[in-house]
Amino acid sequence: MQPIASFATAWALFQGLLIEALPFLLIGVLISALARWLAPGGRWLRRLPAHPVLGPLTGAALGFALPACECGNVPVARRLLVAGAPLGTSLGFLFAAPVLNPIVIASTWAAFPEQPWLLLARPIGAVLLALALSALLALVPEAELLQADVLAERRLNQPLNQVSLLERRSGLLGNDPATGLATRLEPATARPSLNEVLNHGITEFLNLALLLVAGCAVAALVQTTLPRQWLLGLGGMPTVSILALMALAVVISVCSSVDAFLALSFAAQVTPGALLAFLLLGPVIDLKLVGLLGRLLRPRGLLLTTAGAGLGVLLIGQWINLWRL
Amino acid sequence: MSRALGLVIWALVLLRSSTDGRLDLLLRQAFHPLVALAGLVMLALAVGQLVLVMQERQRNRLHRSRLQRNRQHRSPQQRAPRQAPDQPAHLVGLTSLIGLLLIAVPPNPSFADLARERPSDETGERELAFVLPPAQRSLTDWVRLLRSQGDPRLYTGDPVRISGFVLPMPAGPPRLARLLVRCCLADATPVGLAVRWPANTPQPKADQWLQIEGVMGLQPSPSGDELVVIANRITPIARPARPLEP
Repeated sequence: MQPIASFATAWALFQGLLIEALPFLLIGVLISALARWLAPGGRWLRRLPAHPVLGPLTGAALGFALPACECGNVPVARRLLVAGAPLGTSLGFLFAAPVLNPIVIASTWAAFPEQPWLLLARPIGAVLLALALSALLALVPEAELLQADVLAERRLNQPLNQVSLLERRSGLLGNDPATGLATRLEPATARPSLNEVLNHGITEFLNLALLLVAGCAVAALVQTTLPRQWLLGLGGMPTVSILALMALAVVISVCSSVDAFLALSFAAQVTPGALLAFLLLGPVIDLKLVGLLGRLLRPRGLLLTTAGAGLGVLLIGQWINLWRL
Repeated sequence: MSRALGLVIWALVLLRSSTDGRLDLLLRQAFHPLVALAGLVMLALAVGQLVLVMQERQRNRLHRSRLQRNRQHRSPQQRAPRQAPDQPAHLVGLTSLIGLLLIAVPPNPSFADLARERPSDETGERELAFVLPPAQRSLTDWVRLLRSQGDPRLYTGDPVRISGFVLPMPAGPPRLARLLVRCCLADATPVGLAVRWPANTPQPKADQWLQIEGVMGLQPSPSGDELVVIANRITPIARPARPLEP
């Protein structure tokens, strides 16, 4: 292939990927901004189920009500945690909602209309992953899992009988725990101004658009410059292809509302398990997300999330390869 | 202010792409209205943000002048309202650079290079709803027809009038091909027909667009008899305005 022709083809691929993904990114940011404007923060959050299975499932289902990509989900998950929502519910939302929402399901369908198995496997895989990660992180005491500021706010919004004496900071030692409910401070639930919402939404869009540009550029270059035999060889090996696409998902760090379009560029060259691994891991952990997740979780929690998500996605990918290959 | 500028640049990229015909080369038709609509929404949001920024600045000016008047009695609550920090300049600069490049440099892909890197499209094997007369079938119609009713002997002697680009093959003479897309150029996959090129003429160049008139014939291939277009008349043509097929 001539270098100039190769570059011209890469440039066209880059434009195709980017121009197709930008409207979906805009839709995601608009809904995220709307959700922020109508931000919930009421007492009903604390009444969400705390059951180890029902909790994460409820959190995952909240993705349908608050559809956003993983970046938009972090502040919402923080809101859930500080409002005193059960840990499993908040984590279920954090890990599954980036996939289990109408925008991502629609974009996955738009990208892979002729692969119905993927339309089912992606949300099911995301829920399984969220259940596993919630169960794993629930083994760690909250004080060692959550960042100090999140924990402090959370303690203020939890009934005192759920907090140990040493963890109470309300000065209510000796009081009847049942009466502590009346003395809790309510979190600020004021609706942000239109200007604030617009500023936040546009900033989010501009930042994500630049990350999308980088992801599209990498995908376009991979398609046109990487020797076909190498990628096909890698993509044909079941386990290696899964690991390769997991690494790619982490590095590319593309928003879950558009990652299906990027996955299209590899779809023909990798195993089905690797394709699903790419679509499952990116929404849970990637380089772009580490900083955001660091606002919620301590390093130990981050490490467990990364290791657990990696292992879970590898297992799901292997199972899919056994089924589809 | 710079936030609005960044959004205007992305809006211009989408609106320019919607009007200069490049979407026909990049995306499936169904996505074209979405791109244009997204561009318009971005423009509206940018204008809305500018209006809000101007209003806020006006309020701040009034506030400052009031503070100057009441300097003697100033209290901490009377400080000017905090403005949201503006978008870092380097992010807006990068956005502007990328946006200008996208607007200024239209796509011009080599379909042959693209097709060479992709496996052939294997979809379209379901039964066809109806079949056009032979001379009206496009290259894609022929490929789909052969997939649904695979006996090539049924079509020998049928007149052919097809267009496509020249796709060199690793073994054997080049084929005439088209790219099928589901979403965008990234998922384009080639479909092609074998061509018996006229003897004593140079082989056509890769990526060249041709219109071929001829008849269908048979030629042996490793997987049995294969349908081949016996070219009687070959006319070079420009790349069509809508070269991608659904």
